[in-house]
Formats: sequence, C-alpha cells, structure tokens
Amino acid sequence: MNLTEPYQSDGARGVQPLRLVLVLGLALVALCAPLVLGTYAVHAAVIAMIFLLPAHGLNLLVGYTGMLSLAQAAFFGLGAYTSALMSIHLGTSFPVNFAGAALMAAIVAVPLGIPALRLRTTSFVMCTLGFVIIGQAISKNWISVTRGDMGLSNIDKPTFRLLGASVEVAGPVQTYYLALAIGALATGVFWLLVRSPAGRNLVAIRENETLAESLGVPTWKYRLAAFVIAAAFAGAGGSLYVHYISVASPLMFQTIYTTTMLIIVLGGGAGSITGVVFGAFLFVGLSEGLRVTPELRMIAYGLCLLLLVFKFPKGFAPLLQKLWDRAGGITRKEGSA
Amino acid sequence: MTAPLTILEVKGLTKSYGAVRAVDSVDLHIDRGEILGLIGPNGSGKSTFFDCTTGLAEPDTGKVLLEGTEITNWPLNRIAREGRMLRSFQKTVVFKQLDVEENLVIAGQMFAFPSVASTFSFGRAARDRVAGLRRHARELIELTGLGHVAHMPAGNLSGGQQKLIQFASMLMPDPRLIMLDEPMAGINPKLIERVVDTIQYANREMGVSFLVIEHNIDVVTNLCSRAIVLDQGRKLCEGTPAEVIANKDVREAYLGG
Amino acid sequence: MEFLIEQILNGISTGSVYAIVAVGMTMIFGVLRAINFAHGEYYMLGTFGGWYAISALGVPYPVAIVIGVAVTAAIAFVIGRLVMERMIGAAPEASVVATLGVSLVLQNSVILAFGGSYKFFSEGYIEPVFFGDIGIAQQRLLIIGLCILVFAGLEWMVSHTRIGKAMRAVSQNTEACAVVGIDVRTVVIATFVLGTSLAAFSGILTAPVNVSVYGSMGEIITFKTLPIIVMGGLGNVRGTFIAAMILGIAESFVAGQFGLQYRDSVGFVTLILMLLWRPHGLFSSHARF
Repeated sequence: MNLTEPYQSDGARGVQPLRLVLVLGLALVALCAPLVLGTYAVHAAVIAMIFLLPAHGLNLLVGYTGMLSLAQAAFFGLGAYTSALMSIHLGTSFPVNFAGAALMAAIVAVPLGIPALRLRTTSFVMCTLGFVIIGQAISKNWISVTRGDMGLSNIDKPTFRLLGASVEVAGPVQTYYLALAIGALATGVFWLLVRSPAGRNLVAIRENETLAESLGVPTWKYRLAAFVIAAAFAGAGGSLYVHYISVASPLMFQTIYTTTMLIIVLGGGAGSITGVVFGAFLFVGLSEGLRVTPELRMIAYGLCLLLLVFKFPKGFAPLLQKLWDRAGGITRKEGSA
Repeated sequence: MTAPLTILEVKGLTKSYGAVRAVDSVDLHIDRGEILGLIGPNGSGKSTFFDCTTGLAEPDTGKVLLEGTEITNWPLNRIAREGRMLRSFQKTVVFKQLDVEENLVIAGQMFAFPSVASTFSFGRAARDRVAGLRRHARELIELTGLGHVAHMPAGNLSGGQQKLIQFASMLMPDPRLIMLDEPMAGINPKLIERVVDTIQYANREMGVSFLVIEHNIDVVTNLCSRAIVLDQGRKLCEGTPAEVIANKDVREAYLGG
Repeated sequence: MEFLIEQILNGISTGSVYAIVAVGMTMIFGVLRAINFAHGEYYMLGTFGGWYAISALGVPYPVAIVIGVAVTAAIAFVIGRLVMERMIGAAPEASVVATLGVSLVLQNSVILAFGGSYKFFSEGYIEPVFFGDIGIAQQRLLIIGLCILVFAGLEWMVSHTRIGKAMRAVSQNTEACAVVGIDVRTVVIATFVLGTSLAAFSGILTAPVNVSVYGSMGEIITFKTLPIIVMGGLGNVRGTFIAAMILGIAESFVAGQFGLQYRDSVGFVTLILMLLWRPHGLFSSHARF
C-alpha cells in the first residue's frame, strides 16, 4: 500500500472555467451549508473541521515526511486541557487559549520528539502510541489539575473580546462559521508550508533520507520541525474541540481519536491536502452518520476501514486528482521511459 | 594567501568492523582540479573509505581535511552543505516519485537557502530563489541530455538516466569536490561516454575536482590523471593509470595471486 | 519479606499471562512484519468463549478452555483468510488501519451479542495454597506452569516440526522462502491462528483471577502486549518471555508501592525509558524465534 502521492508542480497554469466553477461552488456550499442542514449535520461538519487540524499535522508527518506517528491524539488532548485550564484559571478569551494550546503542544513536542525521532519504523510508532497512553494516565491521575476521570467541565464557549465587548460563539451554526474560518486558515497555512522550500525538503526525506542527507539537507532538524509543527496543529484542534464540547476528560486519549485522525489522512490520501480535507468530512460524517446504535456504528466503521485498505489503498486522493484534472481539461498520462 | 593546492587531504584513516580492518591507515590527497581514480578489488575498502571521508560512517582514527579545514566526524549533510563536497552512491538513488526537475531543485535548495529556518519562508524572495534554482536545473538537464524526460518521475527512467540525474543533482550546488562511487556500473556503453563527457565538462568548465571509484580500467585511463589502488584496506600503490596497471602487486591483487 | 515474595510471585503470574499473549503477537509480527492492533481482542474472544461455555452450556472449566480456544481459532482462521493474508508485504500503515478495523469489528460484535455489562467468570481454581505464610491462588500457579509448558512447546515446535521450521524461515526472510517453495500464505495463516489461539488461551486462564469479563477488555491487553514485544525485540520469542516477566513484576511493584491506578502505564513508560537507553531494543530482533 503506497499511501503517498507524488509531489507535483502545477501542471496547467491559468484559470480553467470548470475549475473555477468547482471551487466557487464548493465555497458556496461551505458558506450556505448551515442554512440548509439540520443541527446534527452541522454538528458533524464542525467536528470534521476540528479533526481537520490534527489531520493536517499527521499528513505533514505521514504524507510529506514519511513518519507514521500516533502521537497526534496526545497533542490534541494536551491542547484541549491547556485551553480548558487557561479558560478556567486565567479567564482568557478564545484566541489566547487557542494560541496557548498550539504553543504548549509545540513546546512539549520538542523534548518528546528528540528521543522519539531517534527511533525508526515500529519502535517509533510504539513510542508515539506510548505518548498517548501516558497522556491518558496523567489526565486520569493528576487529579489536582485535571480532576481525574471527572474531567474539566463547563468550559466556556469560544469568546472573543472586541473593544471591551465580549462576543460568545455559541451553538452549532455559529461554531460552524468559526470552525470554517479556522479550518480554511489552517489549510491555507498548511498549503504554504508544504509548497515552501522546507516542504520540498520534507518530501525529499520521505522519498530517500540518505540521499536528502547527502545533498546537504539536515534531515534530523527537519523531522523534528515537522513533529513540532504537527503537534501545534493538533494542539490547536484540541483547543477548538474543548471549547465546542465544553468538556475535557481522559476519554480524549481513547484509541478512537487516534483511529479517526489516522483514517482521515490515510483514507483521504496521505500527501494530498484536498484528499485530507475530503477525508475529514467523509470519515467524521460516516462515523457521526452511522449512529444507529453505538456498537453497530463501530462495527460499520471497522468494516469501512477494512474496505478502504483493500479497495482504496491510496485513499481518495487519486480519484479527486482525476476529477480535478478533468475539470482543468487535462488527461494525465502515466509517465514512463 | 593563495588557495591551497590540495583540496582534500586524508591522513591515516582507519576503520574496523569487528575484527576486520576495512580501511587501514590510508593517506590520500586530491589536488585542486584533479580527477583522481580509486581502484581495487571487491572488498578492498573503497566504499568504507568513501563513507568515512564523506561523513556517512565515523572513522576510528585519522583525519580528513577539506581545503585545510578539518571535517572529520562532520555529518554527511554538513560536509555536503558547508564543504560543498558531494558524493554519489553505488546503488543509484534518486527521489523516485519526483520528476527530474524537482530532483535537481531539491539538490540545490540547501545551498540557496542559508538556514533551515529560511526554508520555511514562502515570501517573494524565497520564490525567486527557487525560480533561480529551477533555471539552473533546466540548464543542467539540457547539459546531461535529459531534456525530453525533465517532467517524468525519476523512478520511471532507466538506470543510466538515473545515474545522470544523480550526477546533475550533484552539480546543482556549485560543488568543489565530487566523489563518485562506481558511476559507470550497470549502465550501457552509450551512456558511459556521456557520463565521461559530463565529468570532463564539469572538471574543465566548472573547476570541480573528482574522486572516482571505478572498475572499468578504460574509463580510469581515459578520465584520471592519477590513480590509487587499495587492497585489503591498505594503499597498494599510486601513480598514473598506466603505471598502476603495469604494477606487479596490482595484478596479483586483482588475480588473487 | 513475605509481602515482597508475594509481589514477585504475583508479578511472575501476571508476566506469564502477558508472555503467552505477547509471544503470539511477536510470532505474527515475525512472519507478517505487521503490528496486530487487534491482538487483545482474541484474548477477549477466548475469555468470552469460555464464559459462554460455562454459563450457558454448563461445562466444566477444562472443557471451557478447549471450547474458548477452538472458537477463537475458528474466528481467527476466517479473519486470517479475509484480512491478514493480504497483509503479506503490505505497508505498515495498511496493517495498522486494517487491524484497527478488525479490532473495532470484533470488540463491538461481542458487545452487540452479549451486551456491554460486566460478566462474572465463576469457574477456575482460586483456592489459595500456602507456602509458610505466603499464599497464592492455585490458578496463578497453574498459569505459571502452563506458561513454561507453552514456551517449551514453542521452542520444540520451531526446531523440530516442519511448520515450526517454516515459521522461523518466513520470519527470517519472506522473499527467500517464496523462492525455495515454502508457501508463505499457509505459514502466515498458521502462525496467525496459533498466535491468536495463545491469546485466547491466556484469556481463559486469567479469567478466574480477574473474575470480570467484558467486551472492551481486549484493548488494555493490546496496549500491554505492544511494549512487551518491542522490548523483547520484535519477533524474538525468548526476548518476549523475559520482557513479559519484567513488565509483570514491575507492574506488581508499582501497584503495590504507588497504587493500582499507575499500573496500566508501566508498560509504555518502561518501553520509552528502554528506548532512550537502547534505541534498538534489549534483545536482537535478528535472533528470531
């Protein structure tokens, strides 16, 4: 299963009318969706856009740098607790908490990443999984701070302070627009990041680390940078999540969170931004939509994972690429010499 | 102060793997503008010597000096980046999923950007610098005759073409010294000529010095002004290619006599 | 002093439980190079099989062991054919996603079928025996004894039987085996069924000590087994045995000294500390089986 998409420089330049229609159409759908959809669907869309943040981070690791990390859920949880504690004890507003959560995740990622990145393959995967398990143990047992299994509840809804007035973002529809703005911003930042020379160096590391090293790329620094940036994305996602659902508890370190992030990236298409955005909506939507009974939902979800591995080993990114190419009037040929 | 005549100097380099002395106190120097050949039977320690001088492996003892600066134990990436001394690998390696042009742009990046942090910028200046790299890449692609495959994934090309990509990549950063590990192994005779031409061109026009591990004696004779023979980790002899080939010890080493 | 010895004995018996589960997982890793994130679910399946046989069919405990293992082996065979054999030569990401999927399906199917509540496992030999002042449940002694038997049996199998030798060969070099005519697929399925059956066996053996049986009990076992097999040197049977014992005893001490709530993170903390110290594991993963 080769999960990564080749890094492509844009084939066709200029504006194709069909593509423009496609992009504007999607933007319109995104903007109008809450007016049409029911509350529950809007809620699912909010969750999807929240999970998009740790998923972008994971994509940077798996899709661009070639490292399978399970630690995103740990940083997601760390961000959630940081934001919740700031809100409770400092009474700071959402933008401050949001930045604080991302920063905290990034700072903690440095001492965790330095030893973990010495490891390879299975050991690295296990070590990053260990961070999640240890995160859960801390959230359960550091009762004076986290209140243990009871968790921190009644976290403020996202509030903004403007000119002395305090604006609260409450309810799914308002949160939808907040999440949409954050999700779009994060996707934009991510896009710039992977298009930067650094992004190209990360792809070089994924493709062949020794070769990258021999061409002067300090691979260790880049891998650490990717790990830290990914953690910041996850921490930011955790912050938005905790202000939306208003509870931070050890349940946030459960395997299903890791599974969801993993499946968004691998199912959407590692190494593809559109694939991951699509994956976030598809898989969160699927998981929320399957709520018949919790057990049946999980069984169906599990079967979807299996179906995905066997039927779409590269995720949905290649399909999306085809659609995009067709909209741009390109028929891409498989290159061969 | 004039630049030193010697570009690379290796003193008493030794490396053991367990009880085996793969390289045993080897001295070597490469003069500026020289193409030096390194030959020897399989298992004579050539590749270990390469790895130890380029930072892929740490030597047990010995010193490596690049234009008078000691670079012993510098990691591979630093030797490449700061020393502008690049190496190839015996097994051809390219970034397989990336097209030829991207391969070359990556090769130039760490030299065009002063620091890791600066590569994270996506402003106008960074974009211009990448555009410059792209132009340079196109020139080298034309030079190596890869123009018609410039936008194909490198992994889809033939072994010989991949060797050329690898070679062109090493020319991207305006190198001082290039170390080639069997550049002709497994490529067809037509391409051998082109590789030889390109090496000579880079040597003559760009002032790049070379150290070449090569089995093909004709190529060594053609290309190198001087050759060194390694056998069982030791320097067996040194001289012009003709002298080396005529040497009795060398014949014995190769024939296992 | 008695307390100390009791803790060590308890640790060894817990370690034995882990060892039997982990050896199966490490052998599966050996032949497939895939981490089986569903491994704990087979432990759970075995326990449920045994519990069902006792509570619904009224069979005695030894028969329940056989039924539990047989049911798990049958399910594992089906999953082996449908899922695991496609993992041969697949990327690590694929096997992570696939086995997480299997884990979700198995765990929730059992909850759907039997409900999510805790079940009571009533059989087994829980009477303590006393050595001086030190008491230990007979069941714990049984577990330790059977663990030794299992490892002796495995050692014998990989050096004396055809299938055992084939397993060793595949775990050393899958490609070469395909070339010399060993049917890699059969070996993978056989190893998978054997490994998961061992997990089931361990589950039923532990049930009388743990008493409660529930659908999500497998996950914690997976999370304890993972650090063990990495510490033991992935694919290394003897290393796994030692790592399991270390973890069992360490857990017993942590639970005794600091409290039960810290027990479940001992495995990963130990693993990370060990990886800091020796990034390539305590035991060579080249000395497989």
